[in-house]
Amino acid sequence: PRRAQPKKKKKVDVKKEQAQKDRMKKKIRKLEKAAPEMIPIEDFITPLKYSDSNRVRSLPPLSLEESERRVLLMKKWCLFKQKQDEAEKKAIQSLVEAQQEALKELRLESEELYQAAIRRDEGLFPFERDGPNYTPPLPGYDPPEGKCVDITKVYTQ
Amino acid sequence: TAAAPRPWRLFGAMCLLRLPRITQPLEKEEEEMAALMGQIELEKSHYSDHEIRKLEEEEQLRRRKESMYDDDDEAPGKTVIMAQDLEDKWEQKLLQFKAAPRITDADKNNNRTSLNRKLDSNLMLLVKQKVGNQELWLLPQVEWQPGETLRSTAERAMATFLGDRIQAKILGNAPYGIYKYKFPRAIRTEDNVGAKVFFFKAFLQSSDLSQTELKEDYLWVTKDELGDYLKSEYLKKVNRFLLD
Repeated sequence: PRRAQPKKKKKVDVKKEQAQKDRMKKKIRKLEKAAPEMIPIEDFITPLKYSDSNRVRSLPPLSLEESERRVLLMKKWCLFKQKQDEAEKKAIQSLVEAQQEALKELRLESEELYQAAIRRDEGLFPFERDGPNYTPPLPGYDPPEGKCVDITKVYTQ
Repeated sequence: TAAAPRPWRLFGAMCLLRLPRITQPLEKEEEEMAALMGQIELEKSHYSDHEIRKLEEEEQLRRRKESMYDDDDEAPGKTVIMAQDLEDKWEQKLLQFKAAPRITDADKNNNRTSLNRKLDSNLMLLVKQKVGNQELWLLPQVEWQPGETLRSTAERAMATFLGDRIQAKILGNAPYGIYKYKFPRAIRTEDNVGAKVFFFKAFLQSSDLSQTELKEDYLWVTKDELGDYLKSEYLKKVNRFLLD
């Protein structure tokens, strides 16, 4: 009796454990075989609470004069932007011409200076600059204290 | 290894630009368009949470007034913060903040030696230099010495007038423009016909120039004011490589 019982228990346990492990492995293999899920783009999914009908704004419809004014303004804007673009392109053109002329004259002067001038400047890019703001920085301004907590969801595939 | 020494003397000049700190004012068409775009965006949008809360509270107030103060027993004791109160509070906070003025004191005094002037346009450095026997307003320039590239000549020009500590980003190795002139006949010789001034452009990056001592007279001017100081031929060549 003492010799037999522990051995039986071990065998049955071992078999059961083996069967469990095999089942787990099969499940894992099935999950891995399935194609990886796409990471959802949060910006493209409108949350359902924004499709309620009470959210729709109620404004008076546009009058005829208003829509005409808008169309005319769009046309004026089109012309304005076209002129602005042309002026920019002309300025760039004149810039390039001036530089070509300078390089031509330099070449006439000395070849080695010319070669040094047309070499690429490695330190120029990447070029970073803080853009202009609406008001200049206030000297001695103490911004209010606060902590920024980042709650973006990170998905792993 | 040149065949014969060229009769032109070479100078390297630096056009140091202080980039604008504030945005330029909008044109009339731009303002109208911005207003129109805002209006269209408003029409196409839906109500936000804050606006819905405001509408509901207005409804509640109206109903309370009409129903002759029926549910007065639940109101006292509880101080409910209305959306309108929040908006008023935010408005007050905005009015309390005073931003720095866009038109600075230097603008009003027209102090052309200060860098705080005309914060919405590019400012460039002009120095008074002695050329021949005349004192002229020029972009800082220095004669080229054999053994250095033209870009280092321009850097040397900048360092002579503004000191070593100046931080500027030079835009590339190539010159942006050239001004060629012949010396007056009195000093013209076979070897010394005239001079060529090569211009380089750089952006000023250190905003604090109090440590530099400028020995000569200097000015920081915009593109439109260049005409007050530079000679016409020189000005024409300089204007070609300056974007407004």
